[in-house]
Amino acid sequence: MPRRGTQPVNADAIDALLPQTQCTRCGYSGCRPYAEAIAAGEAAINQCPPGGAATIEALARLTGLPALPLNPTNGVEQARKVAFILEEHCIGCTKCLPACPVDAIIGASKRMHTVIVAECTGCELCIAPCPVDCIVLVADSAADGAPRGPIEASEAAHFRQRHAAHITRAERRRADQVAKIETRREALRQQSGADTLAEVIARARARRASGNPL
Amino acid sequence: MAERIVVEVSYALPQRQWLVRVELAAGSTAEQAWQASGLAEHAPDPPDLGIHGLACTAGTPLREGDRVEAYRPLVFDPKESRRRRAVKRI
Repeated sequence: MPRRGTQPVNADAIDALLPQTQCTRCGYSGCRPYAEAIAAGEAAINQCPPGGAATIEALARLTGLPALPLNPTNGVEQARKVAFILEEHCIGCTKCLPACPVDAIIGASKRMHTVIVAECTGCELCIAPCPVDCIVLVADSAADGAPRGPIEASEAAHFRQRHAAHITRAERRRADQVAKIETRREALRQQSGADTLAEVIARARARRASGNPL
Repeated sequence: MAERIVVEVSYALPQRQWLVRVELAAGSTAEQAWQASGLAEHAPDPPDLGIHGLACTAGTPLREGDRVEAYRPLVFDPKESRRRRAVKRI
């Protein structure tokens, strides 16, 4: 476990230094799991490409570990980018919507999809699911056209909160789906007296085995 | 005091996007959130509304934390663009 002096460093303090892009390039499913892995001594502090050298230095100061250069297997440090949808190609398939860890894409089935630039972390996770390759990364520039600087702590805090909301809602949606299927199954059960196809088959088999095919 | 809910309302153009927070009475509808958001002036009327990526009707009641979204139509017919891509690939 990384220690500062004799104190173990907790995952909250580590997570507070990560950029919260939720890009998974560190090899973990998000910034928080990476922070926990560092706290547990399982991950190195040089696996965050969007954070780059600045994040590695901050993590080194916090943990007392040496500030190694960014591990190239995790990626390279780049200027900030955001996703942009090429409208002439978007088919409204919705595949990018759940892929976005911060719900920065507005769209629905057979409707145009649009990236809310201010909410986009530039994680690139929407690019692979798009079947028509209509999502590209563009330079992230402020209103005056100047490139935006590194992700500040306040922005990271916002991303963190949006990601938490995304996870909560995805779980709720899954639970709703399960409940819906259960309700439908129950209705069918009431209607037909049969529970499942498996039970219908089992009854038919039993009938046949008893020597009475009808 | 009647219960209140907070929802977000969003509308997006390629170069400009809006995401606003509105507070409404519990049981308010998607249409009411849309009107309260003040985004109606930017989008065609009536808006094509949805909640978190699923199209809904104007009268759909909202839950705390919902995001009401107004959508734009696709630019090209997906079948047509598929044909166009197929031709290019040959």
